This record gives sequence, C-alpha cells and structure tokens, in this order.
Amino acid sequence: MLWRSWSLIFCFLSLFFMPTFSGDGFSAWAQDRSVSTPEEIHGSEAVEQRLTLGKSTMCERVENLRPVRPATVFSASVGQVSAFTAFDPVPEPTLIFHRWYHRDELSTQTRLRLYPPRWSTYSMIQLRETDKGPWRVEVTDENGQIIKVLRFSITD
Amino acid sequence: MSNLLEFLTTVRWQDVVDILINSYILFRLYVLFQGTNAFRVLVGIASLWILQEIAASLGLILTSWAVRGITAAAAIIIIVVFRNEIRSALQARNPRTFFWGSPHPQKVSSIELIAETAFQMGKKRIGALIVFPGKDDLSEVIHGGIPWDGTISQEMLNSIFWPKNPVHDGAIIISGDKVAEVGALLPLSQRQDLPTFYGTRHRAAAGLAERSDALVVVVSEERGRVTVAKDNWIKPIAQPEELCQLLRQHFNLSDGASEKEKQRHKLKMSLAAALSLIIVTGVWFGFTRSHHTIIALSIPLEYVNRPPGYEILETSADEVRVQLYGSSALIRSLRPGQVQARIDLGKAIEGRNTFRITQDNISMPPGVSLNRVEPSVVEVTLDVPVTREIAVQVDWVGRLPDHLIMVDMRVNPSTVQVIGGSKILERVSTIYTVPVRLDTLSRSGSLTAPLILTPPSLKMAPGSPERVTVHFILDERN
Repeated sequence: MLWRSWSLIFCFLSLFFMPTFSGDGFSAWAQDRSVSTPEEIHGSEAVEQRLTLGKSTMCERVENLRPVRPATVFSASVGQVSAFTAFDPVPEPTLIFHRWYHRDELSTQTRLRLYPPRWSTYSMIQLRETDKGPWRVEVTDENGQIIKVLRFSITD
Repeated sequence: MSNLLEFLTTVRWQDVVDILINSYILFRLYVLFQGTNAFRVLVGIASLWILQEIAASLGLILTSWAVRGITAAAAIIIIVVFRNEIRSALQARNPRTFFWGSPHPQKVSSIELIAETAFQMGKKRIGALIVFPGKDDLSEVIHGGIPWDGTISQEMLNSIFWPKNPVHDGAIIISGDKVAEVGALLPLSQRQDLPTFYGTRHRAAAGLAERSDALVVVVSEERGRVTVAKDNWIKPIAQPEELCQLLRQHFNLSDGASEKEKQRHKLKMSLAAALSLIIVTGVWFGFTRSHHTIIALSIPLEYVNRPPGYEILETSADEVRVQLYGSSALIRSLRPGQVQARIDLGKAIEGRNTFRITQDNISMPPGVSLNRVEPSVVEVTLDVPVTREIAVQVDWVGRLPDHLIMVDMRVNPSTVQVIGGSKILERVSTIYTVPVRLDTLSRSGSLTAPLILTPPSLKMAPGSPERVTVHFILDERN
C-alpha cells in the first residue's frame, strides 16, 4: 500500500454541529441528544437502520464543516482538494475509508471514524504538479465495501 | 582409432543420405554432360576456381582478383553460349532416363540397315552424306535442313539420295531410328592435308566432325567408297561390319565383339561415381565439421498452440539471444528466419507457466548447433477472456478560465462493457477518454469524446460505444 507521506490528512469530527442539507445549500443543525442518543440508536427501533451516505462531494476546502466550491475539476494552483462525506444515519460507531486513486494507482487512504446519529467528515490532499490527471476517491465501509466513488480531475 | 570411432558415432543417418544424394547428383551431371563442349568448359571453370583459391591463399592479390572476375564471367558465358547443349542434356523425354539411364539412348536398331544401304549406294555410285549426332548441339553449325521425321528404311534412304531428288546433295541427320532432317548444309573443312580426290561431301563431313562430336558417313558418288569422319580423323571403310562397329562405338552400344569396351565403360563410370562420392564427402566435411565459428543472434520468441479459450496475459521474454556454432560457411550463409525459437503452450494452464528453453525449442538449419540461449527460462501467464462493466471518466486537461468553475459533470453512458483477460480486467477500474481540453469551454454544454482502452489488449464488447457524451455545468467562481 502506497501512502502519501507528504500529504496532510484531516479528520474533523462534528461533535456539536452536524450539517444537513436543504436543497440549495447547507445549514448548521444542533445535535439534540434527547432526540437521538447512541443508546436509542442501538435500540430495537434502530436495528433496521443502516449506515447511509447522505451527501458527498469534492471541494476546494471545508470550512465550518461545509464544503467550499464543490466542483469536478480543480486547478493544481488551488493547492489542495478535499473529499467531503456526510452520513445520516450512523447507527453505531464505525470506520470508513477514503481511498484516493490517481489514474487507478492508489495514492493514499484515510481512516475516518463515524459516530451516531449523524456524522460529517472529510479528507484532503495537498496538490503537486505531478498530481495532474484524472482522480477518484472511493468511499468504503470498514469491510472495504465501496459506498460511493467520487471522480474529479486535477488540471493546470 | 578411438577418435575415429568417436567421430563415426557423431555421423547421423541424415548425413549419410545427404552425402549420397549429392554424390549421385554430381555423378548424374557428369553422365549427362560428359563429352560435351559445355562439360569441358565446366572443367575449365572449376580449374580456374581452384587456381583462384590457391592464388588467394598465397596472397597473390591481383591474380586472385583477376581469376575471380574471369571465373564469374565464364560462369555466365557458359550458360549463354551452351544453352542449347544444356537444354538437350537436361531434356528428358523419359524421367527414368534423366535419373538413371544413359543420356543418349540412341537406339539404332537400324545400324546394320544403314551400313548395308551405304555400301549398296556405293556400288550403285549414289553419293550420300549421313550425320549421326553425338551429344553436341548441331543447330549452330548445320543450316538449311528440311524436317523429315521418317523412319529409316533402305528404300527411303535410296530415294533421298537418288540423283534426281532435289535434296540429294545435302546431308541427312539421323536421330534414333528416324531421319530427322534432309538437305542439310554442313560446314566445310579448311584442312589442307585432305586427299585431293576428296570432294565437297568429304570436306563437309570432315568440317562437321571437326566442329562437333558427330560421326559422319560419306558415300562417294565417283568412287563408290564409304568413308567415315569423326573428330579429326577421316578414313575409308571397307566392310559394312566395320561401319557397324564404328557406329556402335559412337552410340556407346555394346555387342559381343566389344566386351572390352563395355568393361572400360563400366570402369569409367565406377571411377566417376567414386570420385563424385569423394568430392562430395570432402565438401560435406568442409561445410559441416569445422565448428570453429560462433555467432550470436537475437530472435523473436514464438508462442504456439495456445490452449483454446485462453489469452496470453504476459510473457517474461519476447525474444531470446541464441549463440550458435558451426562451420564458417554455414554460419555465414545463415539467413533471417532460418533460426526460430518456439514455445509450445499446448500443455499450459491458466495462470503462470514456466518453460525451460532447450535445443528442442530452437529450430536451426542442419549442421548448425546451439551453444547457449538466454534467457534459458521464460514465464508465460495465460488468462481467460471475460466481459466487465467499467466506469468511464473524462481526462480533463488544460485550464478553465479563472472566473469559471465546473460544478457538475455527467458522462453518458457512465459505464461501458469491455472484453479482456480476467487478470487484466481485475486491475482496470476506469476507462478514460482521450484528453479533453478545458481552455475552450466558456459556458455549460456537452461534447463527445472517444475512449482509450489501456492496455491495448482490451476491446469493447459488441454494442458498447467507443465515444461518450459529456454534459458539464460551468458556474461563475465567487
């Protein structure tokens, strides 16, 4: 497994604010533990729930747990690119992976932890001149099952 | 002694057959061409070649150069000048004659008849000129002959040479038991030592005999004498039996009286056969038994008998470097394609197969041996072709205008069906388009782009498009 030793990998946990989406954008949403606690999620009602990816996008950066300038083509001069994923619901604490591939060659992968009831997280890479070309990020569960593939390009 | 035995064990049965076949070819060439002018010139050329080799080995630069030029020119000249003789020697009405029998089976059952008729015509003072061709082609020296092709009979000979017959002054040409031509004009001899009473017929007979190996019978109209001309001699014949004897000798026909001649002929042929065997054996050893030359060649490796249903996924080598040895003559004469390296995949299985390259894998001309081969082991991976659905991605290049951002993009179709080796397809997760430039994009829209299949062994499944449509949405960068 190749690892990009130079890249900075970030994993942000939205402990107090979970992003949710209202058609045309993002809005902050305060976690209400009385409504959705971990214990309740493990209850009989939550057994039926499955880990679901609500929103995923490539973006230039993430600010306040919101993707900034989501796009499919990024200039290398931007300096970095992020893969943003928001899961709702998250039935139980679990792991996911972001696997970054440059032309089918695994470039790096990031292990990210998710917590109930909803969780947003992202990974990012710093861009170099040699990174130009088609990329994809595979979002997988802890068993390696692919949940989503995000495709984008790094250009001049 | 032990060396000799050791040497004999290295001689294969093919080598013996090789020597025998070529000895026989040489012997047959001698039999077919012996006695002809072409053969004499061939002997001359062979002598020139030997002279050239000697001159070259002695370091006589100019001599060897000049002799080589003469030899080369003579070889061409002999084909042009003696084309008719070569043709007549090689023309075989009966294949058995060509491969086995005498080249001139002049079956003159009518020798006695001709001899008897000649003497009868002599008594009647009827002049005659009868040509019995040898092995030389006479078409260059005889002119004006009228084709006749009549079977020899006493009456016909008498009628041809009957004084009132328009063609009686010319010569007749005997071929087998037929009169091939009549009224032929022969070249006259320029000799000064011929008796004064010899007329034009005798001079014509002597002239043709001097220029060819033909035997010519002359019947004098004035004296009634029968005379025979052959080579450089011309002599009168007293008895029909004597004439028969000369004709038999001319045609190499044996009879009870020429047992000695027959023995001589047998001895001559045996010597020729033995000499052919010795010459060819010597040449063969010279060609094949001097192993002092080594050559290295790079040759492509051929993979044959691939099991049905499998594809060659990868090979560790596409060519091998072989080191061959043999006589310098054989090594120098090697041509591309004469040395081949083959791997038989008949027993190969799915996955990685290892093959050791041995002498059995290298095909070479006889007399050339394998010294070394690199690599000595090759690995071949076989795979089963499968069809897989693979996602398509656009390979964007260039740079979008700074004020624009591509916020969304859709490829139609988003996946394509691809056929290829299962192991190859395991490693392929995306089919990319050709590079598509961003510089020219100024607003949202769509475009089409061809797909590139990498590695090239992949191919599109029937029905899968080779181009995709890309819908893209551009927005202002805020």
